[in-house]
Amino acid sequence: MRGASREQIRLFGCYRFAATLIAVPLMPQAVWAQAVGLGAVRELQYEKLEFTPTRPDLYELDRGVKVLYLQSRTLPLVSVFARFRGGPSNFPRSLLGAATALPSLLRSAGTTSLSPDSVDHVLEFYGIQTAFGGGGRSAFTSLNTLARHLPEAIAIWTDMLRNPGFDSASVEVWRGQELEDVRRRADRPGRLAISQFNHLMYGDHPVGWEMAPEDLTLESMSPAVLHEVHRQVFCPENLTLGVSGDVSWDHVKPLLDQMLEGWPSCPGKLPDPPLPDFTTEPGVYLIARELDQSTVIVGHPSDVHLEDSHEYFSSRIAHSIFGASGLSSRLVKRVRTEEGYSYSASSVWTTPVASRGIVGAMTRTKPESTVEAIRAILEVIERMRQQGPSDIEVRDAVDRIANGFVFNFQDPSQVVSRQMLYASQGLPLDWLARYLRGIQAVSRKSVWRTFADNVDPSRMVILILGDPDRLGPGLEELGPVTVIETPGRSAPPHG
Amino acid sequence: MGETQDMSDPRMPMVAWLTTLILLAGPYGAPSGVSAQATPGEGLPVVEHTLDNGMRLLILPQTTAPTVSFVVQYEVGSVNEVLGATGIAHLLEHLLFKGTTTIGTRNYSAEQALFAEMDLIQDTILMLRSRGGGRDTVRIGELNGRIRALEDSARTHVVANEFDLVLSRAGARSLNATTESESTTYFVELPSNRVELWFVMEADRMRNPVFREFYSERDVVAEERRMRVDTQPFALTYQEHLATAYRLHPYGVPVVGYPSDLQSLTRRQVADYYRRYYGPNNAVVSVVGDVDPDQVIDWAEEYFGGIPSGAPPRPVLAREPEQRGERRTEIEFDAEPLLLLGWHVVDGRHEDMPALVMLTSLLTGGRTSRLYQRLVRRERLATSVTSSMGPGSRFAQLFSISAVPRAPHGTEDIEAVVYEELDRLATQPPDDLELQRVRNQVEAGNYRRLTSNLGLALQLAGSASLFGDWRASFRFSRRLQAVNPADVSRVVRTYFTRRNRTVATLVTKAAGR
Repeated sequence: MRGASREQIRLFGCYRFAATLIAVPLMPQAVWAQAVGLGAVRELQYEKLEFTPTRPDLYELDRGVKVLYLQSRTLPLVSVFARFRGGPSNFPRSLLGAATALPSLLRSAGTTSLSPDSVDHVLEFYGIQTAFGGGGRSAFTSLNTLARHLPEAIAIWTDMLRNPGFDSASVEVWRGQELEDVRRRADRPGRLAISQFNHLMYGDHPVGWEMAPEDLTLESMSPAVLHEVHRQVFCPENLTLGVSGDVSWDHVKPLLDQMLEGWPSCPGKLPDPPLPDFTTEPGVYLIARELDQSTVIVGHPSDVHLEDSHEYFSSRIAHSIFGASGLSSRLVKRVRTEEGYSYSASSVWTTPVASRGIVGAMTRTKPESTVEAIRAILEVIERMRQQGPSDIEVRDAVDRIANGFVFNFQDPSQVVSRQMLYASQGLPLDWLARYLRGIQAVSRKSVWRTFADNVDPSRMVILILGDPDRLGPGLEELGPVTVIETPGRSAPPHG
Repeated sequence: MGETQDMSDPRMPMVAWLTTLILLAGPYGAPSGVSAQATPGEGLPVVEHTLDNGMRLLILPQTTAPTVSFVVQYEVGSVNEVLGATGIAHLLEHLLFKGTTTIGTRNYSAEQALFAEMDLIQDTILMLRSRGGGRDTVRIGELNGRIRALEDSARTHVVANEFDLVLSRAGARSLNATTESESTTYFVELPSNRVELWFVMEADRMRNPVFREFYSERDVVAEERRMRVDTQPFALTYQEHLATAYRLHPYGVPVVGYPSDLQSLTRRQVADYYRRYYGPNNAVVSVVGDVDPDQVIDWAEEYFGGIPSGAPPRPVLAREPEQRGERRTEIEFDAEPLLLLGWHVVDGRHEDMPALVMLTSLLTGGRTSRLYQRLVRRERLATSVTSSMGPGSRFAQLFSISAVPRAPHGTEDIEAVVYEELDRLATQPPDDLELQRVRNQVEAGNYRRLTSNLGLALQLAGSASLFGDWRASFRFSRRLQAVNPADVSRVVRTYFTRRNRTVATLVTKAAGR
């Protein structure tokens, strides 16, 4: 135990207590005042932080399956990750239900040899945790287990991934949950606003699709449909693996080889989703809901892409200064701290690799201050366009990233899963180092130019979910107002 | 910065479930006779140190990465509030991010002069409100406008959010705080070469806080309440459920406070509350990461050692009287139905707590659990079902079961099944294999809970603050392993009676009403 025995420390503490009883009353207050506060912060000197970033090893298995591996002996636990190219965005609307359901059903609907209950019993009996998720253009899953159960864990996980049973009762449970979720969509204002905004911006495009009862018919979720979608996504050529934790490569490699053995190849490359059109005109789009708080999202398309470019790195710093750095950002400072309009306010700036993204902001505020809060957001944007960020703001934003860079290497499983994400986006393995260099190379001028070129208050699509009777005057001054009709509560699903 | 009561969506991810139970349900002092092997957490090389002013310090060196997690937990929360001033603990938590006499200001004296003026106007507003019953709204509106104008004047002396800025510039992560029913917790992670910065900042905040931007922050908290409670069907139902189950004990009061109370709070009240509950003697600090414990102790002595100890906080003596009949409440809201069932059980130290935690797992922990199997999988009456205990640990808790009905089924169908399953457990103890499933998950969970420095720092501080010993929450795992089937049946028979039950349902508000 570093720091020696607790007994020694307690004794030391008692000794200090006796001494302090005499010393404290005589201590002038000014001495303490000097020791704390902003003055003391400014006097602090920091040693350079020496550390070697942990990097996973890269291996390649049968059919080019890449494995990122990082050993950590700290705890007797192992995590294994799988990321597959392919998700709902790679399929036509007619397969939205099946493609969305797949990750959940791999977890819940059994395998060809094990019933759903048997799978649950095995996982829960061994204390194996699994996660299955997906969306957009990928699916991912992971397991976490005590190291001693790793062979059993990988075996059942492989069975779940490769040989789904699509047990009809489990499919029906999922379908019913999803239908109920559709019925309850209006119950969560934040979620409803985001999905409506996406629909507004992207229209009939995978990002803009909202699940509807027509996507969840028995026919669209039949075993044949599910198997066909599964065959196209969950196959070796789409797969990247990751392993972290208390296991050697020599021990885990045969288990992974076994996982891949005999796994049918992908039938072909999945088609890319179409590029979105973004045809919605700027203006105000209103969803009427009698609530004590409005949800506001403003945004327009952005042409900054995730890539090793000066513009991309400048956009990240601009985003941080604008509204992505919490209390330190301009948006929070104005909308929350100064005006008290909102608890949460943040910017959004998505930067897809191949298509256009969205730049804007989101907040929630009481109905009566909705118009003022939107005006405040637009003013923050306009001021940053006109005057640019200050040198200090840019320096602080860069320092936040550079000084906190070490947090990217806290947890081996986080290191591995992040590298898998980079690989899936086509980024080089040293992307994180390039990112830091890129961020450190931005200037006030480049940040200002990137923001001014890409963010424009006059182009904003403004979505308000709120009570029209309480929004107060001035709404029309923000732009032409269009009322969006959202589907009401649907009848209970039957069949 | 947020208030934390379990008001989240009832679909709790499975991964979070077991850890949450162990951390929140509470524990704890291992009874004699538990002979199971010590859990890995109990063997952590935690260094304990107590300053002369009573501040307790827990240090756990971890060298996996050059980062450090810091937690300060004060033993104060909404149970330490009085009606009329609910939400004060949470508002204070927000205000402690506003800086100090030197951080966040260019001219503190000038600010102070304006505070006095604003507070005088607020007193006038309170007087008008108390006598006018709403008749003076125009005048009150004008006075609020004057407060806003004065706050804008004061803002010319303020360096906005400088407390946050200093730390985030240094690379801080996870800078935040939570207020719960019986604790308030401040936390942050820093690179390991910035440890001394934390001591400078946190000690200054403990010694010299300034509650600047008071009125705009009060509005922010009102917006937080609207966002987390007033527009959220589950949170509204949960708030009503607690208020119905607890008629006396402050567990029935929402952490975020009631809207009219928030509007009535004064800077003076907050300052009094701060003096009463934020002494170093009421704080536990945990530091986990790449640190030298001796150096940490030296810094603790240097920066916190001179802060005078406060008076002992007033104990909470209220105890909820025995419930003498089923209570039912309905909330009308523009949302689909929800169900919450609750039974008064015991505090976190009680010997029945492990069996009750085991019961939550048997009922709703994972896909093999009894209620999931019947309600979600076989009979498809619900889309999800969860159970938990809360809202705190120190006093007798409410064992809650929540469910989301699947149309066309209603809450009454779900209620019937829950009671049937409880009756079955009362008369037929579960088989040991069912319990073994939970024990195995607890074993894996004993390691998983050690993976994050911040998670560990929160556990150490929470356990020490609420139960007097950082090991308490780890020991609880051992007590959980020792639960037998008869224990489970016994606690069901003891607590899950009709007269001890409170039922809350959200019913869909009819159109046009």
